[in-house]
Amino acid sequence: MIFIIVAVLVTLLAYLSILRSRFLGHQRRKRLDYLLPKIDNLIIDEIMANPEVAAGTPASQIQLNLDGFQELPLHKKWARQATTDRIIHFRRNVRGNAGHLLRNLYIQLELSKDTMRQMKSPKWARKVRALTEFIDMDIPVEDVTILPLTNSRNRELRAAARHAYIKLSKNEPFKFFDVVTDPLLMWDQVELFRIITTTEDISIPNFARWVTYSSNKSVVSFCLKLIVHYNQLPAVPAVTQLLDTKDHYLRADAINCLGKLKVPDVEDRLVSMYSSQPLQCQLEILKAIGRISSGRQIDFLKQEFLHSTNFDLRKAAAKSLVRNNQLAGNVIQELLETANRENLLILKHCMNPLIKY
Amino acid sequence: MEGILSWLGRAYENTLFVYGLVLLLVYALLALLSMLAIRHYTRKSTHHQLDILASSPMAPGLTILAPAFNEGLTIISNVRSLLTLNYPRYEIIIINDGSTDNTMEQLISEFRMVAVDFAYNPRILTQPVRKIYKSTDPAYSSLMVIDKVNGKSKADAVNAGINIATFKYFVCTDVDCILHKDTLLELALPVMQEEKRKVIAVGATLRIANSSDFDEGVLIRMRPPRQLLPRFQEVEYIRSFVLGKMGWSYINCVPNVSGGLGLFDKEVATRCGGYDHSSFGEDMELLTRMCRYAHDNQIDYAVKYIPKTLCWTEGPASVKIFSRQRTRWARGLAQLMYAHFSMFLNPRYGKMGLIVFPFNFFFELLAPLVEFSGVIIYIYLAVTGQVNWPYASLLLLFVYTYAVMITTIAILWDQLSFGYYKKWWEVAYLCLTPFMEFLLYHPLIVFFSLRGYYYFLTGKKSTWGNMQRQGFGKKKK
Repeated sequence: MIFIIVAVLVTLLAYLSILRSRFLGHQRRKRLDYLLPKIDNLIIDEIMANPEVAAGTPASQIQLNLDGFQELPLHKKWARQATTDRIIHFRRNVRGNAGHLLRNLYIQLELSKDTMRQMKSPKWARKVRALTEFIDMDIPVEDVTILPLTNSRNRELRAAARHAYIKLSKNEPFKFFDVVTDPLLMWDQVELFRIITTTEDISIPNFARWVTYSSNKSVVSFCLKLIVHYNQLPAVPAVTQLLDTKDHYLRADAINCLGKLKVPDVEDRLVSMYSSQPLQCQLEILKAIGRISSGRQIDFLKQEFLHSTNFDLRKAAAKSLVRNNQLAGNVIQELLETANRENLLILKHCMNPLIKY
Repeated sequence: MEGILSWLGRAYENTLFVYGLVLLLVYALLALLSMLAIRHYTRKSTHHQLDILASSPMAPGLTILAPAFNEGLTIISNVRSLLTLNYPRYEIIIINDGSTDNTMEQLISEFRMVAVDFAYNPRILTQPVRKIYKSTDPAYSSLMVIDKVNGKSKADAVNAGINIATFKYFVCTDVDCILHKDTLLELALPVMQEEKRKVIAVGATLRIANSSDFDEGVLIRMRPPRQLLPRFQEVEYIRSFVLGKMGWSYINCVPNVSGGLGLFDKEVATRCGGYDHSSFGEDMELLTRMCRYAHDNQIDYAVKYIPKTLCWTEGPASVKIFSRQRTRWARGLAQLMYAHFSMFLNPRYGKMGLIVFPFNFFFELLAPLVEFSGVIIYIYLAVTGQVNWPYASLLLLFVYTYAVMITTIAILWDQLSFGYYKKWWEVAYLCLTPFMEFLLYHPLIVFFSLRGYYYFLTGKKSTWGNMQRQGFGKKKK
């Protein structure tokens, strides 16, 4: 009997919780439906449509009129949070003066105080939220506050602190590449890449430094992507050195990087090492030669296309031949006339502009 | 003789008691684990993450595979729905599995498709591919259509798609399913955020689409189904995905990633032979084989689940079609258990062998048999006057209230996390459904499961067949 009563009570409690959550959700929606258009209108009037912004007046010289904002119920926490969220929303979509002015508005409304309070919360989710807000609003936070969090046991907090450090630290934003020991996840790399490539006034170092000295493979792999993004040709010797690494995933990344940097000097080296490489590296070598398109390795590509027993290698070789089209026109024509049925299909596949991959 | 019968009776009673008790405890545990898993998910995920990924050049490429067989009624709006997905790098492969209606003609004319010379390398054997089509319109450059000979199974069609897929991960869905616009972003995140293990599959919650409003393949308004049978399925899906799968996901013991929507590692799926075209539960079979492959090759793997609803599918609205579906599922489960029985309680397969497989065997495969035998014995005892009615009534009432409680908890987690449905009375409508489920819906499931087992044992011929879709209508004015 007791179990029946417990089951009934839990069910009733669940109903009440559903009712309560829907009621609170309804109230929240109602409040926000009323407040958000007001906040948006104020931001548009004061910042987005501000003639001084359009005229290019520096944000520091623009006096914001906060009267309209003072009429908002900013003494209530939910209203302050809603205002912060809207400012962040606008700031994510604008650059330059308007972005700086949104930041000024955030500071002048003293919304950063709430964020700072969240930073002191014992709950990691709140700290992460606060750090994300600081990153979005570009509010400087002292290194002593962020650095301890970069070693937090909580992965989300650790990652957010690292992002904040790179974005907000005025000293050495890339310092943490030297000390990070755990692997950077694919997601960390996506976030770091965004932060590094979108932060204004950040001095971009030569990433070859970490390619050469870092013992963290994920840091090296990430730096190779940054080298490609910033087209850092001075890093080529360091990347070329990485071709000797025993880790074939890293080697494949290095070959990929050299291909994207279009370094013709490494072609001979890539061809000479080709036969001793695992499939993944061989594919990258063929792609790299296609990207470099110097025309010096057409015979090698032709040989691979005709004689490789692996379908993917033949396809990669054909693709690279097609990329070398200007210099390999005769070879491609010859292959079209003489290739067997399967190779002919591969060649036609690679030549068809409708087929992307 | 009488002594033996009485001993057998007592043994049966005791076994059944332990069986029931363990089942109730497992569900209580799942309710707790699912709460932890959902809480972790909601704390961790922000919409901002999706925005970042949507604009990142580092997002992993994804291939969407959608097999179609006689889907002429909905094919165009469904492909349009797939084309609206929000993701920076993906391709869509529609596999026309030898449709006998005008599915292929519609695709060709609507999306300006032309046959191309495509270098097709079948790593998994399938029925022959006739032609491969690409669109001449740059707006549909991510779309590809495979026209193949009918393989009499969804598995054969998807395998042809896997052979042609470009990217390392593929998302398998049914072409009649409607996906949330952020589906690919949501499915990619768990792969990118996993710290230690290789994520070989990711699933997400499915919902019944029957009474929801759609426009050009995009969900406009979510409603619980008006008809009783689809509404039972909606409640069942919430319990199964939000409570069951999320609970299992928390301890990395997900038994199945639904065929309606799932992301898979292409290399692992290909190496273990792709979908089994002879299986009636090809989705569960593939995942079991992928996990088995991972164990055999010492790959530390993870299978993840997302509590958010990302996919809407049309649930069978007539008992006839519903019976076909559930009979097929039950037959698939029996096939799976038979084919992979060597994993059962085998420590070599870790959690898969010691938790997932035994649970599926005892509480999924045997459950209909246990229930059926229970009913027969109950009737016998009632006829012979051996039932202690006050005690039996209490027990029955407890099972009933417990079943309602578990389903209500699943609805609660769903509501607290995502607050689906616009009106409160739509949720109330859903909350009332479990009261009838026990009496009306559950007996049907048991019956169709038994029929599936019977077909499995007798080897009755059957195909995946046409589900006779109604199609998704536009928003009602």
